Amino acid sequence: MRLRDFIIRRILLAIPVVFGVLTITWFLSHMVGDPVVMYINTNTPASAIPGIIRSHGLDQPPHIQYFIYLNNLFHGDWGESTSMSFRPVTEVIAQRFPATIELALVAMVFAVLLGIPLGIISATRKDQMIDHFTRIFSLAGVSMPIFWFAIMLKYVLYYQLAIMGLPHLPGGYRYDSNRFYWFQYTTGFILIDSLVYAHSIPLFVDALTHLVMPGFCLGYLTMAIITRMMRSSMLEVLREDYITLARAKGLSEKVVIYRHALRNALIPTVTVIGLAFGGLMTGAVLTETIFQWHGLGQWAVSAILSADLAAINGFTLLVALIFVTANLIVDLVYGTLDPRIRFG
Amino acid sequence: MSDDELVLKVEDLVTNFYTYEGVVKALDGVNLFLRKGDTMGLVGETGCGKSVTARSILRLVEPPGRIEGGRILLYVPNEESGNVEEVDLLKLSEEDMLHVRGRLVSIVFQDPATFPNPVFTIGDQIAEVVMLHQDLRKEALEIRIEELRNALDKLEGKGGLVSSTRREKIRERLAHYESQLDDPPEPDPKYKKKAALKIAEDMLRLVKMPAPDKVMMQYPHELSGGMRQRALIAMALACNPLILICDEATTALDVTVQAQVLNLLNELKKEVGTSIIIITHDMGVVAETCSWVTVMYAGTTVESCATEELFYNPRHPYTAGLLTAVPKLHENRERLPQIRGSVPNLITPPPGCRFHPRCDYATGICETEKPHLKEISPGHWVACHHPLPDKGGKR
Ligand SMILES: Nc1ncnc2c1ncn2[C@@H]1O[C@H](COP(=O)(O)OP(=O)(O)OP(=O)(O)O)[C@@H](O)[C@H]1O
Ligand SMILES: [Mg+2]
Repeated sequence: MRLRDFIIRRILLAIPVVFGVLTITWFLSHMVGDPVVMYINTNTPASAIPGIIRSHGLDQPPHIQYFIYLNNLFHGDWGESTSMSFRPVTEVIAQRFPATIELALVAMVFAVLLGIPLGIISATRKDQMIDHFTRIFSLAGVSMPIFWFAIMLKYVLYYQLAIMGLPHLPGGYRYDSNRFYWFQYTTGFILIDSLVYAHSIPLFVDALTHLVMPGFCLGYLTMAIITRMMRSSMLEVLREDYITLARAKGLSEKVVIYRHALRNALIPTVTVIGLAFGGLMTGAVLTETIFQWHGLGQWAVSAILSADLAAINGFTLLVALIFVTANLIVDLVYGTLDPRIRFG
Repeated sequence: MSDDELVLKVEDLVTNFYTYEGVVKALDGVNLFLRKGDTMGLVGETGCGKSVTARSILRLVEPPGRIEGGRILLYVPNEESGNVEEVDLLKLSEEDMLHVRGRLVSIVFQDPATFPNPVFTIGDQIAEVVMLHQDLRKEALEIRIEELRNALDKLEGKGGLVSSTRREKIRERLAHYESQLDDPPEPDPKYKKKAALKIAEDMLRLVKMPAPDKVMMQYPHELSGGMRQRALIAMALACNPLILICDEATTALDVTVQAQVLNLLNELKKEVGTSIIIITHDMGVVAETCSWVTVMYAGTTVESCATEELFYNPRHPYTAGLLTAVPKLHENRERLPQIRGSVPNLITPPPGCRFHPRCDYATGICETEKPHLKEISPGHWVACHHPLPDKGGKR
């Protein structure tokens, strides 16, 4: 089974990558400050500190601490998130992961569904009006800092419209908890929970409207990158000899573009999409903070602000895992698009 | 020449490329004619516009290139009336051109390596053009009937109630489809594809592709250059075109494969009844395979006549120079003679005859007036103010 071997090999290759990431983050996070600050506050009596240090193994040399960390990690103990009232990191991740993935997927769907057609249109109508608009639109996407864009969007579509008493988009949170006070998460994915478990269409619609702004903000950069990539690879493919051959066969321009050019042009775009998915995790940190989205990104920010080292390490490790998985998926998609790529 | 035996006539074709450096006047009055069943060689130095001519005929010149003038007349037999219709390809709508490309006029491009689409199998790529241009109603129905017959054969000799009712059902369907044979209905896409794939495989067999059934399922990168070339020829011939243009179809191949492909083309011509244009700068290829030759120089036609006539009795100074530059085995010369000067820049081509700066016979008129292609003796066209004397007959 060639495909299975390929997947296994890729997973084995991912191990050193993930291991490298967690080693570097652990040492970096323990270098920036005294880890004991995680466990004390201004009310902690000075006499209690040596006890705290000893009980958390902080008096051990760093490499011993690191091995203890690794040992715990492999036993499923990712430490306690001090900024989340000492709840286990794994528990916080399990609780918040769906919110972030839901947001990232919406952003991704938005980016792909808009980016690919825009790129194609832009390439096939090169130097026409629509191409100029698309290029400005996507240039804006790659140039605007995401936090600035998010704040501006929220200011106009939520704050200003609300002040004027007009219908407006919600400015934050995943759903309106005053209206749907009875709602409890089951899977954590609100679009699923609202329909499958709560059987509430209004809640589903409400959740969707809450997703629009953060989803758009988070996806805009990715969409812009996909558009630009799609445009340039499409332009390149359209110059290829096999496109001339397709035309010489008597195929219509539509078939030439959508059957012969598109699949070839998608090959480089898919790589970008995979890398961008990892980038969405980074973008989520900012987007979630601005839209009070109770996901991993928001947690990561508060963890950094309160020197919650276990949370920082846990979050980084998780992002590394997502990155590696996304790349594996990309390579698999790649193989189905391009017969020149052999698995194994 | 009477027009009724022609399949293609190109008159005063002009194609320019609008580049940043200036307008490249790549074709400036190209004239060609191709007779039914003929193989014509189109020869000339590199850059003289052979490939641009081929692309212009199919209207496949890509921007910044543009066809600026002339006529490309195709003589299409009308199956119903039996008459031959004259069609000017330059006047057709883009939509009508789609019926010409791949169906009436096919092309095998220079450099086969980059031409097949890397993400589709060879079988799919040939079947695509077959499905596009051929009706396939009969073929699809025949495949369906054959499948049912095979299914019936398999059930034959098996006892039991189940298989006898199934047999009955299959016989019923078989009878139903057989009754449609006289006027087959629009086929199911699945069977249309199957019929097209079958034709594709037959085409691969026709071009003597090794292991055609395997190649059908392979991707271009899995084939050798010669195999790709054959696949492209199969693709071009799949719809029995009126005209096949082979642009240096053999230059990229080694000598033995080259000879094979050329012989193949000649065989196919007899089998399919296609007229062929072979673009090359190899005089040996012309001598072996072509009955007619057209010589181009810097975007113009300079001479056009039967192959033997050209070799023994060249009338244009350029052709004569070109022929003496071909090395011959029985002569042992220190240096090959060459034509003095070099190929002109096509952005600022010489006025008048484009060859005059390199011509030993040039006079004042050559610098000012462009010579037109004229029939100076029966069956021999030359564009020159001072053609070389007729040597008369064979040497
Ligand atoms: N896309 C283009 N842009 C500008 N000039 C072009 C373009 N394509 C062709 N030309 C010019 O047209 C002229 C004819 O080119 P063409 O490819 O037809 O030559 P050729 O006779 O086929 O040569 P070869 O024997 O090398 O294949 C050349 O001078 C070339 O510079
Ligand atoms: Mg050429």
